[in-house]
Parts: sequence; C-alpha cells; structure tokens
Amino acid sequence: MATGFFTDTTLCIGCKACEVACKQWNQLPADGYAFSGNSYDNTMALGGTTWRHVAFVEQPAPLDAPPSESKWLMVSDVCKHCTHAGCLEACPTGAIVRNEFDSVYVQPDVCNGCGYCVPSCPFGVIDMIEHADYTRPSFPSDGRTDDDALQRHGGVAGKCTLCYDRQKVGFTPACAKACPTDSIEFGEVEELKARARTRVATLRARGVDARLYGIDEDNSIGDLNAFFLLTDRPATYNLPERPVLPSTHQPAAYGSAALAALALGAIGCLVFRASAP
Amino acid sequence: MPGLGTSFGRGGATTFVQDLQNADCILIEGSNFAECHPVAFRFVMKAKERGATVIHVDPRFTRTSAVADLYAPIRSGSDIVFLGALVNWVLTNERYFRDYVVAYTNASSLVREDFADTEDLDGIFSGWQAGETQAYDTATWAFELEEVPRFDGNGTVKVVKRDPTLQHPRCVLNVLRRHFARYTPEMVERVCGTSRDTFERICTLLADNSGRERTTAFAYAVGWTQHTVGVQYIRTAAILQMLLGNIGRPGGGIMALRGHADIQGATDIATLYDLLPGYLPMPSVHRDEQTLAAYLKANTKATGWWSNTPKYMVSLLKAFYGEAARAENDFAYEYLPQLTGDHSTLPTQVAMRDGLVRGFFVIGQNPMGSGMNNELGRAALAKLEWMVNVDSYETDTAAFWKAEGVDPSTVGTECFFIPTAALLEKNGTMTNTNRMLQWHDKALEPAGESKSDLWLIYDLGKRLRALYADSDDPKDRALLDLTWDYEHDDARERRRGEPSALKVLQEINGYRVEPGKHQDACEQVGGFTELAADGTTASGGWIYSGVCPDKTTNKARNRKADDWTSLGWGYSWPSNRRILYNRASADPAGKPWSERKKYVWWDAQTQTWTGVDVPDFPLGKAPDAAAKPGADGLDAHSGADPFIMQLDGRAQIFVAAGLKDGPLPTHYEPVESVVPNVLYAQQHNPTLREWRRRDNPLNGAVNPDFPYVLTTYRLTEHSGIMTRYVPWLAELQPALFVEIDPELAVAKNIRNGEWMTVRTAIGEIEGRALVSGRMRPLRLGRGQRVHQVGVPYNFGASGLIPGDSVGDLVPLVMEPNVSIQESKTMTCDVRPGRRAARTGSAINAAVPPADRAFEGQPTTRGLERKE
Amino acid sequence: MSDALDLRALSPDAANRGASSGDDTFPTYYEQPLLKRPHWGWEVVTYLFVGGIAGGSGMLIALADRTAGEDAALARNARYLSLALAAASPVILIKHLGRPERFHHMLRVVKFKSPMSMGVWGLIAFSAASSRAALAQAARDGLVPGWLAFLGPRWFTNPAQALVGAFLAGYTGVLISATAIPLWAKGKRHIPAASVCSGFGAACAANAALLALRNEASDSQRKLERVELVAGLAELAILLDFRRSAGALGAPMFDGARGRKLTNATLLGGIVLPALLNVLPFHPRWKTIATSALTLFGGYALRESFIEAGKTSADDPRAAFRQPE
Ligand SMILES: Nc1nc2c(c(=O)[nH]1)N[C@H]1C(S)=C(S)[C@@H](COP(=O)(O)OP(=O)(O)OC[C@H]3O[C@@H](n4cnc5c(=O)[nH]c(N)nc54)[C@H](O)[C@@H]3O)O[C@H]1N2
Ligand SMILES: Nc1nc2c(c(=O)[nH]1)N[C@H]1C(S)=C(S)[C@@H](COP(=O)(O)OP(=O)(O)OC[C@H]3O[C@@H](n4cnc5c(=O)[nH]c(N)nc54)[C@H](O)[C@@H]3O)O[C@H]1N2
Ligand code: SF4
Ligand code: SF4
Ligand code: SF4
Ligand code: SF4
Ligand code: SF4
Ligand SMILES: [Mo]
Repeated sequence: MATGFFTDTTLCIGCKACEVACKQWNQLPADGYAFSGNSYDNTMALGGTTWRHVAFVEQPAPLDAPPSESKWLMVSDVCKHCTHAGCLEACPTGAIVRNEFDSVYVQPDVCNGCGYCVPSCPFGVIDMIEHADYTRPSFPSDGRTDDDALQRHGGVAGKCTLCYDRQKVGFTPACAKACPTDSIEFGEVEELKARARTRVATLRARGVDARLYGIDEDNSIGDLNAFFLLTDRPATYNLPERPVLPSTHQPAAYGSAALAALALGAIGCLVFRASAP
Repeated sequence: MPGLGTSFGRGGATTFVQDLQNADCILIEGSNFAECHPVAFRFVMKAKERGATVIHVDPRFTRTSAVADLYAPIRSGSDIVFLGALVNWVLTNERYFRDYVVAYTNASSLVREDFADTEDLDGIFSGWQAGETQAYDTATWAFELEEVPRFDGNGTVKVVKRDPTLQHPRCVLNVLRRHFARYTPEMVERVCGTSRDTFERICTLLADNSGRERTTAFAYAVGWTQHTVGVQYIRTAAILQMLLGNIGRPGGGIMALRGHADIQGATDIATLYDLLPGYLPMPSVHRDEQTLAAYLKANTKATGWWSNTPKYMVSLLKAFYGEAARAENDFAYEYLPQLTGDHSTLPTQVAMRDGLVRGFFVIGQNPMGSGMNNELGRAALAKLEWMVNVDSYETDTAAFWKAEGVDPSTVGTECFFIPTAALLEKNGTMTNTNRMLQWHDKALEPAGESKSDLWLIYDLGKRLRALYADSDDPKDRALLDLTWDYEHDDARERRRGEPSALKVLQEINGYRVEPGKHQDACEQVGGFTELAADGTTASGGWIYSGVCPDKTTNKARNRKADDWTSLGWGYSWPSNRRILYNRASADPAGKPWSERKKYVWWDAQTQTWTGVDVPDFPLGKAPDAAAKPGADGLDAHSGADPFIMQLDGRAQIFVAAGLKDGPLPTHYEPVESVVPNVLYAQQHNPTLREWRRRDNPLNGAVNPDFPYVLTTYRLTEHSGIMTRYVPWLAELQPALFVEIDPELAVAKNIRNGEWMTVRTAIGEIEGRALVSGRMRPLRLGRGQRVHQVGVPYNFGASGLIPGDSVGDLVPLVMEPNVSIQESKTMTCDVRPGRRAARTGSAINAAVPPADRAFEGQPTTRGLERKE
Repeated sequence: MSDALDLRALSPDAANRGASSGDDTFPTYYEQPLLKRPHWGWEVVTYLFVGGIAGGSGMLIALADRTAGEDAALARNARYLSLALAAASPVILIKHLGRPERFHHMLRVVKFKSPMSMGVWGLIAFSAASSRAALAQAARDGLVPGWLAFLGPRWFTNPAQALVGAFLAGYTGVLISATAIPLWAKGKRHIPAASVCSGFGAACAANAALLALRNEASDSQRKLERVELVAGLAELAILLDFRRSAGALGAPMFDGARGRKLTNATLLGGIVLPALLNVLPFHPRWKTIATSALTLFGGYALRESFIEAGKTSADDPRAAFRQPE
C-alpha cells in the first residue's frame, strides 16, 4: 500500500511541531543557532539532518491596502517520495530503495556516502550528513546505542524516511502525528489525492487561489507521494515550478558522448593508418 | 479572572476549546492563539474548515493573523475603544439578541438615580474619594430596589427593579448606550488606528453570526489581561457577548486561554495570595473577617450559588485541620493567616528590595526571566538572607548572583538549589484551560536526586512539624494540627519519601468525616452538593469535588473521547461541565434557541434538563418555575435564570460589586502611552497602583523621549528556560529579536538581522532586528503616526541561546483588581547597535527612599485631570 | 512618509514579492538555494580527469595497433598507462566516499539507470581489460614469463579497451549531466561530448609526452599531436556552443572569475595554445612536452570548472525553478 502526505498549507500555522517531532523521533542533531533574519525561519532548508522544514513567506500588504490583504504563507516541506525518484535512480549502491509503503528510503547501513543522490534530487531534499562526533550527541539520548547514532550520522545521505520504523509498527509518522491542525495529513496516497481534489474545489469555491502541487501534473517525476496544496506559485515556497527527472537527460548525454567518441575514433583511424607499404 | 467572574459568576472560560469548532465566527483579540495555543487552535481551524469566519485583532500580524479570514491591526492598549465601539454599533443598529438580553442579562435592571457615569464626570464614575482613600466608594454603583411580597407571604423583600421593555432611561441597557455613545467608528480610527472599513466589517460579521441560528466565540489571553485596565477589557468583551446572546451556547462563549499547563489548577487550588482553594476569599485583617461567623457573613450571598459558602468553607477547614477543626473552635478558623495588604508578586518584590523579606522560595518560576524591572529585582534578591530555587534548571533567578555586572562577592544571599522532577517523572493532575483535570502517570524515574514538588512540600511540612512537635505555643497549633498524612501505598515510592498525589486529590474531592477514623478509611463525597457546613464533611477544594467520588474512581484518568463534549475524558469542574451557564442555550421556555444550536434543553417528559453536556442548572427545576423572592440560594431565581452563581441569576452587563475601577468598562490610556486620552480628561485608570520611587522610573504619558509603543509576547518555539535548553527548539528561534516596521527601520537606520537596542526608563536590552512589513505603522485618525515595537519575552541569560530578558524594560505598575503588571503596552525608544554593559550598581545602591511606599505596598495613581 | 508607501519594497523580504510577475522572474525564497550542492571536491575532479585519460588511452591502443607495429611503442605505453590510471581511479574514488569502508557496496547492484553504477562497472571492466592487456604487454616485453601473454590477446583487449575506454571518458559527463543541477542538465549534449574530447585529447597529450620523454617514436608523437589538435578543436567548438546555448544558465561556468579561468586555462591555455604549438612546423622535444602539459592542465581545469560551476549553479534558485528539460 502506498502511503504518503497531503500537506495542506492553508491549514499550516507555522508552529514547527512537525520539524521538532521529526528531529526528536529520528534523534537528529540541531544544525546550529544562527539567526537568519528571514522571517521566522532560522533553519532555512531541508538537509541531511533536517527532514521537515517549515518555510515562512511574508507578503505584507502595502500600507494603502487593507491590512487583511497581508499574507504570511507557511509550508512544511519534506521529501516528496517521488514516483520517479531522482535520488533512487542515481544511487549506485542500492542504498535507496522503494519500500513496502512505496516510500523512497535510504538504508543508512548501505549508503557509502558517494553523494550522487544529492545533485540528483530535483527538489533539493536529500543531503549528506556531515561527519561529527555523534558518540556524544548534542541532545539527550533516548537510549539508542552509539553505534546506531554513528550508523545514522556519519558521512551518509539523509532525508525523511517517511517514518519507516513507525509505519512498520502501525504508527503515524511523527510529523503528522504532531501537527495540531492536520495541515500534514498522512494516509493512503490514493485516498489523500481524492481528499485533496475535493479540498481544492472547496477552497476555490471560497475564492481561495488553491492549487495542488505534485499530483495530476504532467512531468517526468510523476505524482509525489508527499504532495501539497499551495496558494501561490511553487517558486514562492522554494519549490521547483517544473521539476525534471534527471535520468531523462541520459539518452541525450550518452548519445552526445557516443557521437564524440565515434567521431574521434574515425579521425583517429584516419590518422593512425599504416604508412603505404 | 474577575472580568468573567463578575459578569457571569465564575472566573473561568465559559466554554471549552473543542467547542470552538461549532462557532460560525471567532473573534481572536488579545491573544496570539495559533502561536501560544497551537493545539487548541486545531478547533479554530476546524471551525474555519466548516465555514466559520476567523477574525484576529492584534497590534502585530502574527501566525494567527496569517490564517485568519480578517486581520485588523490595533494600537496596543486601546481595545476598550474598539470593543466599546462594537457595543455601541450593536446597540445603535439594534443588532442585539433582544430575547436573550431581556431574559438572561441585567439589561432591564434600573441603576440607582445617584449613579454618575464617566460621560457625566469626564472619565470617572461617581463615588471617587480623594485624599487618603484614593478609591471608589461603590455605593452608587447599584440598582434601584423595589419591595415585593416574600414568596412565603411573610412580609416583603427588596429586589432589583426592572423594566423588561428596556424603555426606562436608567435601565442598564440605556445606561450602557449613553456610556459608549462616543465610541464610534471614527473614534476607533482615531484611538486604535484601525480603519473604519475594517472595523465595520467586523461589526457586521459579529452581528450576522449571532442570534438564534448562529453563534460567535471570543478568544483572548494575556494580550488583554496585562494592562492597567485589563479586567475591564474582558468586561467589555463579556458585555458584547451578552448583547449578542452568545454565552452558554455551543460555538459561543468567551474562551479565556490560560497560560502555563496548570495555571488554571494553580488558581483553582489556590496559589494566589488572596484566595483559598475553590475561590473562597482569603480572610483579611482589613475586613470584618476575624471570626468564622463574620467571615461567613461577609462572604455568603443570600441568593445564588454563593449562598453555599459555609458548606465549602467549613469543609475546607475540616480538610486542613481534621479532628482539630471543631464547631466549638470555629473549625480552627483562626489558624488561617489573614491578609495585611497586597502580597502579590510585585509588592513582594519591592518589599524584598526594601529589606522587609528575609527568605524566598521560588518554585517553578523564574522571575528574573519573566518578571518586571529586573534591575530592582536583582537588587531585591540580593537583600535576602536566603533563597531556595526549586527547578529543573539553573534559572536566571537562581543564577542572579552571577548575572552580567553583578559581583558575586557583594551578594550576601545564601542560595539553595533543589532539583525537581519534571512533569513526566511524577504523578499528578494538571487542570487545563477547559477547567479540566487530567491525571498524568509517571513515565520515567526522576533524574539524579530530583524529587517531585509534592515531596518537597510534604517533606518540608514533616520536618517543620517535627521541629515544633514539643511546642505548646498556641500559634504553632496551626502547623501541628494540619492533616499531613499522604503516605504512598506503593512501598517503593514510600521509601523514596514520595507522598501519594492521588490521596491529595481524594482529599480535595472530599470525604464524609467519621470521628476517630483516618481519612483514608472514610467514604468519599460524590460531589460538592453533598458538602455540609456542620463539620461532617471535609473537602480541600469544593469546585473539584466529584473527581474522585469513591476511593477507586479517579475521573481525571478518564480517557473516552468523542469529537465534541467528550464527557468521558478527564473531569471538568464544576461537575464535569464543559460549557458553563449552558441553561442559556435554551430559550426561557427551555427549548433550544434553534435546532442548529441545540445543546441543553428541558425534557418535559422526564421533567429534567438534558442535552449533550451536564446541565448547569438544578436538574429538575422547570423553565417556568417562578422566582421566589426572599427564598435562599437558587430558589430566589426563576427557572429561566441561567447564571446560577449570580445574585439575580443573570449575566451582569452592569457590575454593581466586585470591581474596583468601575461598573462599566472605560477607556484609559496605559501608564505609558504615546497619546493623550482623547475621550476623557482622565488619562489613566485612576485606581491603578504604582510605586513612585527612583528605582522604578516610568516613561509616563506622551514622553517624546519614548516615542514608540512597545509590546511583549511569546513565540511558539519557546517557553523560557526549558526550551532554551532544547537544541531542537533553540535552533528554531536562536536569538532574541525585535520586530519593527520597515518605515521605522529606515528612519532609525536599523538593518534587518543586525543588533539593535530598545530602551525604556527602566533599562535597555539588545536583540537582533527583525524588520517586517507584518508590523504596520498606524495612523491615528488623520493625525499621528504610531510605530509599534515588539519583543518576545521568552529569552534570558541562561540556556543554549542566551539573550536579554524583556524584564529589563518593564516597569512595576499594577491593575487594581488582580495586581497584574502592564507588560503588554509600554513605550520605548530604539536605536541601532548593542546596549551598554550592565554594571549591577543597583545591587549595592542604598535603598532609594520611597516617596510614598510603605512595606513595599503600592499607592493608587488617583486623579490627574487635563485642563 | 506617505500612506501609499509600499512596505514590500522596503521589506528585506522584497525578494518574496511578485507572484504575478512574468514567467522568468521568479520570487525566490530569501535567495536561498533550491537545490543541494554536490559535495564533490578535488577527488572527484581528479577522477573525472584521470578516468578521461585512462579511457582515452584505451582508445589509443586500438588505434596504435592498426599500424602494423609503427606505433608499437605508443601501444605499449598506453597499455601500461591505462592500467596505472585504472588502478589509481578506485583509490581516489574511495577516498571521496563519506564511508570509504563501504566502497564495495557499489558492487551490490548493477543499475543501468545510474551512470555512477554503470561507471563503477565500466571502471571494473576497463581495469580487467587493462590489466590483462598490460600483463600480456609485460609478457611481450619480457618482464613476466612469456606464456602469460595468452591472458591478454589483443583481439580481445584492444576492442574492449577502446570501447570501455570511450565509455569511461564519456560517462563522467553523463553522470553530471543526468542530475538536477541546471548547468549540468543544460549541458547534457555538450558536457559528455566535451568530456570525451577532453579525455581523448589528454590521453594523446599524456602519451605524446611519455614518448617524448623517452625520446622514441617521433612519428607516433606527430600522429598524436594531430589527433589531439582535432580533439581540442572539437572540444573548443562544443564548449563555445555550450556557452551559447546555456545562456544565463551557463553563467556560473562562463562568466566572472570562473569564466576567466576556464577561458585562460582550458580554452586558450589548454586548447588554442597547444593547437598553435602543434601546427608549428618544427618539433623539438620540449615543445611536445610543453604542449602536452598545457593540454593536461586545461583538461584538469575543465573538470574543475564543471564541478565548481555546478555547485554555484545549484545555489541559484531561479535556475532551479524551471529545470532544463
Ligand atoms: N509557545 C508558547 N506558548 C505559550 C507560552 C509560551 O511561553 N510559549 N506561554 C503560555 C502562557 S503562560 C500564557 S499566559 C499564554 C499567553 O497567550 P497569549 O496571550 O496568546 O500570548 P502573548 O504572546 O503574550 O500575547 C498575545 C498577543 O497580544 C498582542 N497584544 C499586545 N498588546 C495588545 C493589546 O493591547 N491589544 C490586543 N488586542 N492585543 C495585544 C501581542 O501582539 C500578542 O500577539 O500563552 C501560553 N502558551
Ligand atoms: N514582559 C512580559 N513579562 C511576562 C509576560 C509577558 O507577556 N510579557 N507574561 C507573564 C505570564 S502570563 C506568565 S505566566 C509569566 C511566566 O513566568 P514564569 O513562570 O517565571 O515563566 P517560565 O519561564 O515558564 O518559568 C517556569 C519555571 O518552572 C520550571 N518548571 C517546569 N516544570 C516544573 C515543575 O514541575 N516543578 C518545578 N518546581 N519547576 C518546574 C521551569 O524550568 C521554569 O524555570 O511571565 C509573565 N511575564
Ligand atoms: S524528493 Fe528528492 S530525495 Fe525525495 S524521493 Fe524525490 S528525488 Fe528522492
Ligand atoms: S550517498 Fe548513499 S544514498 Fe546517496 S547515492 Fe550514494 S550510496 Fe546512494
Ligand atoms: S515522516 Fe518521519 S522522517 Fe519523514 S519528516 Fe515526518 S517525522 Fe521526519
Ligand atoms: S506541525 Fe502542522 S501546523 Fe505546525 S508547522 Fe508543521 S505543518 Fe504547519
Ligand atoms: S506545549 Fe503543551 S500545552 Fe502548549 S500547545 Fe503544546 S501540548 Fe498544548
Ligand atoms: Mo501566563
């Protein structure tokens, strides 16, 4: 059964409970204490050790406009668990697999840190987890072994697991569980899609410029198991307007390489000829 | 919460958060609901999904505003004008719910002829006593009485005179009309800076979403309370909700969002200095309360629920003193301490500074992080002989002796730190904002040597009692006669010295006293209706009575939820009711006002009240039961009087007794304000209290040195020291910041993300500038431009992400009814760059001679009239 | 100040503005990157370079063996060189891994969709062919017992080395092109081809230099120079066309300091200058060595440009919003 997330940004209150719940459940370290000055976002992006990230987009109304026209958009971003996942296709070790929940899962004990998945994700999600002395985590341990921490935290790629461990025992993913307003809905993907389509219709009827992101789109990625309802263009939320599956570039790329090799081979054959006997 | 208490009868939210989902409109004002109460906000979002309109009125555009359908900016400190104008609009457009208003409020009661309104006296009510007293004589804030025959025919009795046609010029509704007549949309523009358009849209929305078929809910929190007129803010909202007919009905009500996880419990079972458990007043030497009889006489009402005071008080004394509380000795009433003055936090802090306090227990509080006038505060702590901090972290308070600029060698205070078990490491209950007790089980053993707070108090009590065991001094009986036996039944816990929290809760619930029998062996009472005034019952807090109706039942543990009232989940006082005054959800005849808003109704067949909640009314009292003039308690009310706690069974638009600053809300400017009061000659609340001393300087009114409005508030990401030590939270908001609008930033050359300094007369703090168009400069009418500056209050010197505490900016001033500080509206100046280093000089400075202060007690501001 | 003042213009979040603006002027998220930077450093640059020479050398062997012994010295050198480089490659590659001890996890799967997996197997195949070829060569050269020559029959190793070598020179270009990095994806028709040309050119240069250093087979050196000239000019043409077609997406590679470095080190220093030197009618040893050094350096600089410009390209959110198809 494919499970995933429908993240409805119109319900998000930017509380970041999802971000914290994810870090806590997965025992991921804090990424530092830098003040960004960018609205209420200080973690700024998804990363190897930030698997949920809440973005804040300020669109204040001009002073001569009614104050209610001000907008502050929030979205809780996450790995999209793509139907056609760039990271998975790229991974040379088979560390990234599609599991029984149809999620794209990085097996931390298989990944060897080649880093190829990182530029292969069209959404900029997956990233390397830096080496650090995780034998002494910067947070109170929940009793997991140091081995486990190291296993997870040194030099491998990291991203949302769609809480594979929780799903296996029938739990809702930590982020969805923590979301107070059900902005993150977890469930069976087809069911979520149906719900999302109805929701868009409802919102449109109320005059909200709602649109779905990640399903019912015609692109090489296919539907996303974690998809979104947005009220502005995707770029506003730092999402690609038109993501492209990297492997679609391969035919042209292999072709151009082959062409060049053939041409050079031919030239070479012309040059390397036995001198006239 | 006397704002709600005087209006409706009980000082708590009139509804519960899950019911907000049934509202057709929700006005959030004075709270950053989504950020500070995110879990409860779920139900606001549910309402919104169901089509409700959500309105947020706040000086700042917050995460709540972001999801609201309508946002209105407001100048901090001006809500009474905003709400008063709403009242005025509803009245002038005749949009009030007339049937409800006539039947369920005191709108028809006639006010005494000699009452004079603020309209008559330019900002004060009749009864102001100048000179020594500096307070209102509230005698004229009363109703005209008429004599009617007693119900039993034995002579006559005086009752309030009413005019149900609402024609009489002195009926409350017409007094109210006159009172708010000048609170117009233009005035809102001029005082609040909210545009007329926005304001009128809100008026229409509220009116359209109130009445028989629809209901509007209000939600507020400390954005309304932390003002020198805070109680009156809530009163204005209460009046508006009465007029719109939204109290006691599903999707209506006033949701007072309580703060800390157990703050409701802390007021219920009374950490407030002037309350005993269950909102019984603490005896005072200044009132005629020196004997139990006198106390009961003063605090028992002839009619309404408070006619039961003797039952609750005597049961409380029995719970406190057990066998030693006997009818002959006034149930040991004299053991109770009596108030000599205002012993709330701020006066105690000042008294400490003046060397009048020797020792200080700080349990679960961090005054140097959350308090006011930190400079004075640190000096106060340095004057102590000893201080005990009971906390899970070394708080800013515990570490005050090594704060920036303080030379530890100059601090004589002996400091003790006792590590305490955290929430998950102990059993007990918490009472949430729904007035709901929920039991929590210990999930972990306490870290290290930490023990629960209950252990601390219990063990301290045991040790003190041992020390005084041989004393025959009568005054020590108060200690020695306490019932002090809550030994844990679990052997392991007993070995650790941990008392049984359940036994404490059982004692609060109450039991039937059996002479010679230990309370553990006595039978529990089933609820407060079983309590008696003759010493045969004991109850440590009558309002919770019913939570443990027998020794094996603990309703706080109940965990059966549905998607609405969830009567099977936890236990809400009183009697597990979720919506208070829910009799008002039915019309006077006992039928629901509408099918859509059905909640509690009279079932003629069974002759009882029934519905989806526990009816807040005598179950068998028919709607057509007539009032019995002169009868006791609820019998004096008719079957159509839903507000059973009140003398007349009705919601009080005009509050005759219980408030110090007026029977009706009036707009006064905050102590620190950037504008004069344009409505009255009186600038501030004349009854507000303050300390005029050199170490508590005020910016004062319209001070050009402090041209900007300053407000303080919370962030979702933080609570205080607890969150500043959690890396996952610390990284989300890693620095104290100051929110300012771009215009101000440009004018002051302050750049986003860089350091800036905020200054008041009290002191200065530094933070990172967060320049945002969400902060809107306001134009007051066609006049002055007002910039508002916002600073989160969750920071302090300790933790992973140290930052300045706003307590270094906030002066000590107090609201007259509840002694709350004015930390929501102040004035300030801002500049780019960092602040000067602190010197800590105040600690060793001589105590500044108090101008008028006595034992740290504040003085009343009094009248100051503009020419 | 007037009430009509547009707060958005003053706000530091002005970047977020303008959902309505035209298609190519995107609102960005505080100028934050959308994509993640590749974490590759000098190891990967070196491997792309070394792998190119190894692969190019593999191609050269087959060419050299076409001439009935005229270019035997070249074939011999190239066999040894391709083995040496093929042997060095995994070391460099393993070094760059986040978890080097798990390098062998690459061998768990064969994945046609993953150029990196293909590359690993290609490298293994190439190493196998190269070691057999080199062993046979060593047998022929009398360095090991002569009968070992049967392990590496030329009818097998030559086409194997040529084909897999061509793959090795080219797949690195495919590997980076088949990513989401806008510059790389945009270059999918150019980067692989340029990689092949550059690898082949560098192999010519390396082998020419080896011959020159040992002062042998000057005819072979001339042939190599000619082929190198063609490969260089092809590379130049491809890169210039890449620059043209990439437009703004090419900026990280072709503009600014990195653009100047590419122009100087690769286009001028690594292609044009060697080409000029190559066409000069006289052929002193030093010239061959200098030309080769320039070509090799240009080749390394090209790979470095690819990788570093890719990182910059990843940082540009506007480039990533509408990804090259
Ligand atoms: N995350 C988190 N949640 C908390 C807490 C915490 O520390 N962190 N604390 C808890 C506690 S103790 C409490 S008391 C509650 C408080 O809950 P709230 O009262 O909701 O919280 P505040 O942020 O203090 O203030 C609310 C809002 O009042 C606005 N305000 C300021 N002045 C005025 C005014 O004059 N009029 C109006 N209408 N609004 C004004 C502020 O801009 C702010 O947005 O939160 C509780 N919840
Ligand atoms: N300027 C400004 N000042 C304000 C406010 C404002 O809005 N603006 N808000 C005011 C309000 S509403 C409030 S409620 C106060 C809050 O003021 P405080 O209560 O002082 O605030 P906290 O920082 O929450 O402190 C609670 C302390 O209790 C400790 N603690 C937690 N659990 C336990 C426990 O089980 N046992 C014990 N013993 N300790 C425990 C924590 O570690 C922490 O140190 O601040 C007030 N001050
Ligand atoms: S979003 Fe990126 S990391 Fe997630 S599955 Fe898709 S390609 Fe992989
Ligand atoms: S870094 Fe790990 S997960 Fe990513 S491609 Fe390499 S082996 Fe696979
Ligand atoms: S599903 Fe689990 S791993 Fe993924 S973001 Fe949510 S909490 Fe984190
Ligand atoms: S928990 Fe839910 S509401 Fe809160 S930030 Fe995450 S998605 Fe938004
Ligand atoms: S911290 Fe606790 S009380 Fe506050 S919103 Fe979360 S769950 Fe509720
Ligand atoms: Mo609070």
